[in-house]
Amino acid sequence: MHSVLIIDDEDDIREIATLSLEAVAGWNVYTASSGAEGIASAVSLHPDAILMDVMMPGMDGPTTFKTMQQTEGIEHIPVILLTAKVQGMDQRRFAELGVAAVLFKPFDPMLLAQQIANALGWKDQVKA
Amino acid sequence: MIPAAQDISLPKAALAAQEKTRALLADLWRRNRPVIEARLATLDRASAASDPMPEDLRLAALDVAHKLSGSLGMFGFEQGTVIARDLEQLLDDPRPDARRIAILAGQLREMLLS
Repeated sequence: MHSVLIIDDEDDIREIATLSLEAVAGWNVYTASSGAEGIASAVSLHPDAILMDVMMPGMDGPTTFKTMQQTEGIEHIPVILLTAKVQGMDQRRFAELGVAAVLFKPFDPMLLAQQIANALGWKDQVKA
Repeated sequence: MIPAAQDISLPKAALAAQEKTRALLADLWRRNRPVIEARLATLDRASAASDPMPEDLRLAALDVAHKLSGSLGMFGFEQGTVIARDLEQLLDDPRPDARRIAILAGQLREMLLS
């Protein structure tokens, strides 16, 4: 069973993503509401992947990702950025950071797990 | 040919998971209503503000529009996300069109809370 750490400052997004990955895919989900909390959780929990919002107060997604890349023990964990920005320039900028994928909000709760599995090459079938 | 037991059970499991997810989403939407109301109230305050709109209010409304654009579609309000994106674009201007904001905020309120 896969485990995913969701990092987002918005309660409703964390809740929707959590229920989507737990109920639809049956994965283990951990959550954090800031970049700093997310780094600490990643260090202690070692999830299989991290799903992280781009725009967060304090440390934003790209800055958090760069810090993770320099943090021993979690630098190998694939990170997927989640953004509500739709401009092509933003998409390219995020992709160039070296993240595993960029997904867009709003996402379809029924399809989120499948999108993550596809992005990370996880072969196991997602139920929905 | 009769499908193997596993082939029959998979769609059932998928349906059950979807059903459960829909019910949880509906419950989350109900619990989330005060947050939505607070966000709409911020947009109302911005549309009723003096010209030029105070910068702190514009930024608060911009943040709210961004959050709504990212979340409404997940609850099935795809058109709500489109309107919220328009609001976000309007509010990104240092001197936004308050009348247009009022119209779009009214449309959102009608769609989400009526």
